[in-house]
Amino acid sequence: MPCESRRSIVIQFGLCLLLAPAVVLPARAQQEADRPPAPFVENSIDRWNRMSPEERERELAKLPPARARLIRQRIKRYNQMNPQAQQALRQRYQTFSQLPPDIQQVIRKRLREFRQLPSARHPAVHQEVEQLRLLPEPQRQASMNSDDFRTSFSPQEQQIIRDLSAYLPN
Amino acid sequence: MGVAAAATLDYDAELMLRVKQGDGTSFGVLLEKHRASVTHFVYRLVQEQAVAEELAQEVFLRVYRSRASYEPTAKFKTWLFRIATHLALNWIRDERHERGTERLDDVPADVPARQVSDRRPSVEDQLVYQVKLAEIRKAVAALPDKQRAAVLMHKYEEMEYAQIAKVLGCSESAVKSLLFRAYESLRARLAHMGRT
Amino acid sequence: MNCPIETRHTEMLVSYTAGELDQETALMLERHFAVCPACRSTATEQSVVWKALDAWEIPPVSLDFDRRLYNRIDSGARPTWWERLTLSFRPMPLRQSVPLAATAGLLLMAGLLLHQPGPVVSFTAPPSHIVRADQVETTLDDLDLLRQFGPPNSAESVHPDAM
Repeated sequence: MPCESRRSIVIQFGLCLLLAPAVVLPARAQQEADRPPAPFVENSIDRWNRMSPEERERELAKLPPARARLIRQRIKRYNQMNPQAQQALRQRYQTFSQLPPDIQQVIRKRLREFRQLPSARHPAVHQEVEQLRLLPEPQRQASMNSDDFRTSFSPQEQQIIRDLSAYLPN
Repeated sequence: MGVAAAATLDYDAELMLRVKQGDGTSFGVLLEKHRASVTHFVYRLVQEQAVAEELAQEVFLRVYRSRASYEPTAKFKTWLFRIATHLALNWIRDERHERGTERLDDVPADVPARQVSDRRPSVEDQLVYQVKLAEIRKAVAALPDKQRAAVLMHKYEEMEYAQIAKVLGCSESAVKSLLFRAYESLRARLAHMGRT
Repeated sequence: MNCPIETRHTEMLVSYTAGELDQETALMLERHFAVCPACRSTATEQSVVWKALDAWEIPPVSLDFDRRLYNRIDSGARPTWWERLTLSFRPMPLRQSVPLAATAGLLLMAGLLLHQPGPVVSFTAPPSHIVRADQVETTLDDLDLLRQFGPPNSAESVHPDAM
């Protein structure tokens, strides 16, 4: 084979290699777009609601009456939520429940601590978490290392904000 | 104590051993069984509802946290009430130290309304009941700590002298002496109620 | 019989008024009451004390007692450094490890036999099955916590005690 032919084959092969992603990637993206959305997993309350009344009462009867009564009330309140709000909460719960268990525990701990803060502090801490969640990581870190952050929030509040802004699902 | 009662007590210890092995359901069973009696006992000692529940929770928390080292050397209920008594009496001593004097003249906010199932109590009945209740609470609160604990265990938990002795860490004869003096004081303060 | 007060055995009077004495001893005591006003009076006073203590009603335990307790247990549940270090090496009890190993083996075999790379299978609803009430309670607790950080100005962002 003449040298020039071999060279043109090599060049053509190289061009194919370079151009291949431009062809393959859109196809893959299209494939992913065509793929059905990630399945929505029912939570235990959804499954509870699909049980028959007899099955539900049977399960509740295994608990102390006061506790069973409270669970009934809470389920009723959940079922009576505004549908959009309920859907948003279910989505968030689904994301949360798919996190690693140790991360879930951190989130639970910080949310409980948040709840126990004086109610006057809730808006400020809440707002700070929401703002930091929107930032890219380097900026989030820089913000939390700032004097302004340290003087505006107590050490406990700083820890709550740090972890919730990092891990709390949207 | 009857065989059935002894078997029940053994069963509690058995449940606790299962908790030690990691069985959370058994802890739930123990909680269900003893929640009310521990909380009520602590309430009658400290006479504040919110505090009583916090302390009662602390009791079960300690039970849970010490599950790894649990050994059934005593009946489960004895151990449980030993923790409860210890926590409640510590709280009382701390409160007494902080407050200086005990304020039992105020009618507490968590006094329940009289539950009368067959007729509505009149306002007068309610007032009479409240006054009586305040006297009873005062009489019990006036007892020295260990006498108070002994009476409450003896009266409301129907514990025998031996068990009370183990809870309080003293001899049976000391318990008899505590109860003797406690009931004597209560008779002196409450006997007039029999004349109303 | 000997006088309980004189012999410093008033616990007998306490037991009598509590109905704890056997019938024979109770009868002997009642015969003694006929000749001892002091014992009779003490027994009457003790009965009044019992009645008063019986009348001492107390508030019921709060409905959320257990929930708060379990929250405290959860928030304090942190393995010690030793537990974390030895977790991997801790032998599992045989009655747990054997079925667990068998299940793992079966799952592995099933996975190897059934694995077929291909498009994602669309989700189908799981078969209806029983959910325990305490599982629901745990989910409610988590939802309760997550609701604190709902989107701004949404109906979801309400007081956490609302659920």
